[in-house]
Parts: sequence; structure tokens; C-alpha cells
Amino acid sequence: MAKWLSRAPRLAAVGAYRWVDERLGLGEVLGYARQKSVPLHKHSYWYYWGGVSLFFFLVQGVSGVLLLVYYRPGAEAYNSVREITFDLDFGWLIRSTHSWSSNLMILSVFIHMFSVFFMKAYRKPREFGWWSGLALLGLTLFLGFSGYLLPMDDLAYFATKVGLEIPRKLPVIGPAVVDMLRGGAEVSEVTIQRFFALHVVVLPFFFIFILGFHLWLVQRHGNAVPPSEEAVPESERHSIPFFPNFFAKDLAMWLIALNVLAILAALFPWQLGPQADTLTPAPAGIHPEWYFMSQFEVLKLFGRWFPGAAGEILGILFFTVGGLLWALIPLYDKSSQRAMRARTTTWLGYIVLVGLIGLTILGYFDLD
Amino acid sequence: MNYPTWNFPHIGSGWVIGIIAIVHVLISHFAIGGGFYLPMAERKALREKRDDWMQVLHGHAKFFLILTAVFGAMTGIGIWFAISLANPEGTSTLIHNFVFAWAIEWVFFLVEVTAAAVYYYTWGRIPDKLHLQVGWLYAFSAWVSLFVINGILTFMLTPGPAWLQVAGTGREATAFWPAFFNPTFWPSLFLRTLVCISLAGIWALVTASRIDAFAQPKLKEEILRWSAKWLIPAYVLMPVFFAWYLYLVPGEQRTLLALGVSTIGQGTFTQVTRTVLVTIMTSATIAVIVYFLAWRNPRDFSFSHACATLFLALAATASTEQAREMLRKPYVVGGYLYSNGVRISERDKFNQEGYLAHSPWVLEAEQAAWSAAPQDTPEKKAEQIIRGELMMRGQCIACHTRDGYRSLKRLLKERDREAIDNMLKMLHEMPKDSPYRAFMPPLVGTESERAALGDYLEVMRGKPELPSGTTAAGAAPGSAAQTPTAPPTPSGGAAPAPAAPAPAQPAEPAGGAAAVPGKQ
Repeated sequence: MAKWLSRAPRLAAVGAYRWVDERLGLGEVLGYARQKSVPLHKHSYWYYWGGVSLFFFLVQGVSGVLLLVYYRPGAEAYNSVREITFDLDFGWLIRSTHSWSSNLMILSVFIHMFSVFFMKAYRKPREFGWWSGLALLGLTLFLGFSGYLLPMDDLAYFATKVGLEIPRKLPVIGPAVVDMLRGGAEVSEVTIQRFFALHVVVLPFFFIFILGFHLWLVQRHGNAVPPSEEAVPESERHSIPFFPNFFAKDLAMWLIALNVLAILAALFPWQLGPQADTLTPAPAGIHPEWYFMSQFEVLKLFGRWFPGAAGEILGILFFTVGGLLWALIPLYDKSSQRAMRARTTTWLGYIVLVGLIGLTILGYFDLD
Repeated sequence: MNYPTWNFPHIGSGWVIGIIAIVHVLISHFAIGGGFYLPMAERKALREKRDDWMQVLHGHAKFFLILTAVFGAMTGIGIWFAISLANPEGTSTLIHNFVFAWAIEWVFFLVEVTAAAVYYYTWGRIPDKLHLQVGWLYAFSAWVSLFVINGILTFMLTPGPAWLQVAGTGREATAFWPAFFNPTFWPSLFLRTLVCISLAGIWALVTASRIDAFAQPKLKEEILRWSAKWLIPAYVLMPVFFAWYLYLVPGEQRTLLALGVSTIGQGTFTQVTRTVLVTIMTSATIAVIVYFLAWRNPRDFSFSHACATLFLALAATASTEQAREMLRKPYVVGGYLYSNGVRISERDKFNQEGYLAHSPWVLEAEQAAWSAAPQDTPEKKAEQIIRGELMMRGQCIACHTRDGYRSLKRLLKERDREAIDNMLKMLHEMPKDSPYRAFMPPLVGTESERAALGDYLEVMRGKPELPSGTTAAGAAPGSAAQTPTAPPTPSGGAAPAPAAPAPAQPAEPAGGAAAVPGKQ
């Protein structure tokens, strides 16, 4: 009897699995996952970052839906966030989790992008993987930007105001785009409504669609190996099954990511400043969030070097052309050999990485 | 009071100690646990005649020697420098009471370091039995150094009634043994020993993860699994000893923890509770990762997983040590010395005769000039601000910074002058129902000195940012500016004032408790 009782849960689980399997064909999916393999080499660590980015996106989705239950866009925005933060049980935790995971997601997407770049995982046949990844990065940044305004405290208000100065400087379309986003000449309650719609409906819709495409490409082409591993003879390369081996390792990384998130959310809860007062001047040293700091600094530097409209246009031109070239890398560095173009591209990657970090740091030391 | 103050901008002097100490604890506990791991693993390898194990252990011993003898010793000395600067009064108290204990600890530390060097450099050169004996000598001396330092550390939380009776009389040495074997000595010793053992396992995972799973799959599997077992004693026994430890800490501190647990939902829970939760969460994650990866899938356990596990161990160690430090607040030595270096016995004297009057850093002539200066003149105002800054340096800077960690500017930004004065009055009187009482020392000094501190704080924090609908002269009823005693939370920050149209900042993330970590 005791033996049967101890086996009962397992038998029930097996029975339930069979019932679902007969109807949905789970066995086929698992069989496919077991057949898939993931390369194992000294750079395998970088394979986790796509999964970690996905994990933070999922956290964003869950915590975002919970916030949605109580958040009221428009004139009530600030008060609703205040209630979430101070009145609702665990509201502070959900808000902190959402805010911290958005920052961690952006960070992990950046790390993922650079790891893909340095492993040259954009080469044939993975060009669309690179482009869809860049689209996801753009959407992630836009999600971060649109979400930042929603609490409508003074920091959110002025940072958004400053942040909108970047696209406003785009030639011809800049002012029109910004006016459309703001819903007027100034950041106001209408802007909150628009940002809210973008943040919870429009951007996630496109994000999920492109994410699905991106993941499908990863499944189709598998994980790329870096040039150093390509040089190793096929017989000496190693790999592990995706399921359950890599899957278990991926889950472990998710668990560690959750720990980092929980530590930040619990020890450094996201603050809520005073309600935005549009009549007061911007506080000294106001600046956009860290992920827009490099662009902000480029605009500042070009503005100093080339006074007047020329500086703004050149600044915008600098990172627009830079971004375009970055996106077109797969069309330039196509060779799978260690050719001159491959080396040049790697050096370009180092310059961009150091430039982004350097300009971001410089931005914090160069506040007005 | 008798020593200069150390103003470390932005992060505060407490965090200087904290950062060094957290690294030190992670390494020094490994130095003790690893001391048992190496001879036990070597004995197993010798019995089973496993040369492959011996090779891995040789590499591990080298890593162990470099890490513990170089970084462990350096951070240990770093703590000495840091505590002497950050809290000289507390350091002085400890040295005066435990100078011989420290001498003994240093003797064993010397034996420990020497044995570690001999153990590594005689590998394969002396008979196996003798080599193992050197290993055991290392393990024993390392653990005794923990035994001694544990007595001093636990003394700071629970010095015990016998020592407190003679504290400040010059006869403290007569209560040396009760102070050393104080109420929390034994549970703390068992807890730390368990931490040492588990850290030995975690650090060994780092070495073992580097074994090539394709070239030596069996070896990697065996060593990883054997190392993973070292975590079992801690996970089985830790809750028991932790409960024993909590049972023996003073009731006020237990209340602080319990209060924190009951207020998690509102987010106003105490910093000590937050850090305890981090400890629990990271420890649970370590258990899951070690079981599913190192134990169940040892061949796939990579160096990055080992590093991630080590990072979690660092987070667990850091949060546990921080929680332990905060549990002791508002004291550096429980029931005797406040975290800002003021002794309980000096409180009345400072209130009557003045705090600055007893400072060796204020000349008598200066003191006289301050008293004699004509009232309501710019000169008088300037002198008041200088006096106020001296008060702030003496009584606040041990735990607060001007504009960084536990920023005074941030904490005061929504308070007008009247609110600042009310706050100082409350901190001076420290009524029994004050939530600050659990983690902040009382403000001492004469009325004039407290007014000077108010003058200084008013100037330092700049223009107040009052909630809308209030004025600097008179805050709206119920606002944070009007009710300084209402908004504080157990974590020391300002909780939202429900009636205020715009809330103050939420509970200060780092808590308001003083953080002056001691020697680890």
C-alpha cells in the first residue's frame, strides 16, 4: 500500500503526460529538442544571453500586466503609481521588479548583440537573425523610453522631455514625429495616453511578432560558432543536446538572473519622486536614462564643436549613419575565413563597444 | 569623541569596511573550510590510490594558497585600517578588552599561513602521512583563529551582563571570559563553521568545473559530486543553529526582524529583513543549481556555472553579514557604545555640559569665543554653522553621508527648518515609542549645540522641496514636513504621509540603521 502511494504521483504525472501527448504530440517536440545540439567551446557562455534577455522580457510581461490592473493613464497617472507603490500590498515589489527588469533586459540585449557580433553570428545564413535582433533592440529601447514617462514624476517628465530632443533633431521628419508622440507642443497628459498605448499595445505587438521570427531563425539555423572554433577540425568539436542538457543550464542562468533581479528590487526599490510640475524649470543635471546617454552626449559634443543647426544635424547624422552601417555589417563581412574584412569588422566592434561605454560614462560627468 | 572623524564621501565609511569585509569573509571562511577539504580529499585519494585526484588537488591547493594567503591576508589588514578610521572608539574598546585574544589569533594565523605554504610546497616531496599531518595542522590552526575572532564579533552584539556591569570602570579585564564566551558565541561559532564547510565545497566546484569533461569525464563527475556533498551539512543544520542564534539575540533586535517580516507587503520592512530574505533566496538558488547541475549533470557543469554559484555565495555572505551588522543597531557594542562612538554612560554628561565641550578637536578659546559672540549677527551665524558641522561629523557621519549613501540631503529635502528642529528634538529625547529608537543613537548635546546642528543641516540640504500646498514657514497638516515623527519607518526612511498630496520618498532602501561593520 505504502509503495503504491509513493508511486501514485509519478503514475498520475505519466498518465497526464500521455493524455496530452496523444492530443498535442508533445513527444515529437521533445524528440526534436533532443536531436538539436548546442556547440560546446570556451565561448559557449555567450549563448545564454539571448535566453536571459527573453527571461527578462517574460518578467516584463507578467509584472506589466499586474501593474496594468491598477495603473490609470492620463491625469491620474501619478496618483495611481503612488497608490501602487505605497498603498497596495507588494505593489512596490511589482513596480520595482518591472523597472529593474526593463533595465536588465536592455543590458542583456546589448550584451547579446555584442556577443553575436564578436562571434560573427551574423554571417550567412544568419543575416535575418541579426536584423531581427537589431529590430528587437530598437523596440526594447523604445519600450524603455515609453515606459519611463508613465509614472509622471518630475524625473520621468523632464527626462522624457530631454529624451525627445534627440529624435526632434532628425532632419525634416524630427519635429513632426516628436509632435505626434507628444500629442502637442509639450509633454502632457495626452503624451502619457500615447506613450501608454505604445508601451502596452503597439510595441509589444511588434515585439512578439519579431521575437517569434527571431526564435524561429535560431531554431532553423542553430547556434553559430565563433571563428576560433570554426578553425577546429569537425572531429574535435564538441556539442551537447539542447534538451535536457542545455535547457537545464539555460534554466539555471534564468534562476541566477531572477536572483539578481530580486536582490536589486528588494534592496533598491524603485523610487517615486514628487509629481511633475510642468511650470517649474527642469532640475539641474537632468539627463535621459543610461541607455540613451551615449546619443545624448554625441549631440552635446557636436553642438559644442559645430555651433548652431550644423552641430545638431551632424550629431544626428553621426549615429544614424553609424547605426545603418552597424546593421549592414552582414553584407560587408561575409567571409567565413579570417580575412582582412573579418579583422576590420572585429576592430570596428571594439571601437563601437568602447565608444558606447566611454560616451555613456562621459555623459554622466558632463551634466549641465 | 576622542578621535578624528573620517568623512568618506558618497558611500560612507561603513561601506568601505563593508566592501572589504564581504570579500574577506568569502575568502577567510573558504580558508577555514578549505583547510578541512584538502586533507580529507587527499586522504581519500591516497586510500583509493587516485593519482588523477591528487593532480586536481595539487592545483586546488595552489589556488587555495594564493587566494587565502594573499587576498585573505590583504583584506584582513584592510579591515584593520578601515575600522580604525571609521570607528576608532569601537576599535579602541575592542582592543582594550581583547588584546590578548587578538594576540592569540595572530599566533594561530601565523601557524595557518606557514602550514599552508608548507603544505603546498612539500607536495610529493615528503612522506604522505607527514604531508597529511601538515594539512590537519593547517585546518586546526585556521579553525582556532575563527574560534577566537568569533568571540570578539559576538561580543559586539551581546557583550553579556557580566561585562556590562564592569564596563567603563577600568576593570573590564575581570570579565574577559564571560565577554568572550558571551550569549551568542556558540550558535555563531557553529553557524560560521557550517558556512566555512559549504564555502569549501563551492570554491572546490570552481576548480573542478575546469576539468575537461570530454578528456576526463569520470574524474570531473566524481570530484564535482564529492564537492557538492560539502553543502549538505550547512543546509541541514543551518536552520537549527540560526533559530538558536535568534533565540539568544536581544529581544529588541528580534522585534526589529519580526516587524520587518510583518510589513513586507507595504514595502516598509526593515533593511535587516530585506537582507535576510536575500540570504534565504540566494542560498536556496545555490542549492537548486548545485543539485541539478553539479550533482545531476556534473559533466555539463561549466566554469561559468561555478562562477555564477560563487557570485550567489558572495551575495548570500554579503547579505548575511550586513544583516548581522544591522541587527546590532544602534550599537557598536550592545548596551554600551552607540554606533557613532558615543557611550551610553556619557549621554547625560554631554547633554548637560555639551558634546563639543568635551571634544579634543575644539580649542577652549574657540568654545569661549562661540559663547561670547554677539547674538543674531552674521558672525554668530557663521560660527553656529561651524559648530553644527562639527556636531554632524561627530554624531551623524558614521552612518550618513551628505549626498550619497543614506544621504542627509535626500532625507531632509522635504523638511523645512521647523521640521528639522522637531526631528532633532525627537532624536534627542528618543521617546520609547520612537521608531528610530531601534536603529539610531540618541542625539546628544546642549540645546545650543542642537540648534547649531539644525542651522548647519538647513544650509547643507539647500532649498527644501516641500509638497505642493505647503510653505516653508508652515507645512500643511499631515505633510511630511509638518510631522517629522509620523513618517519614519523601521528602515529609517520616510514613508509616505497618507494625507500629503505628494508623498515623501519611500522607505530608504538601505535603511536608516547605522552601518559600521566590525572586524570580520
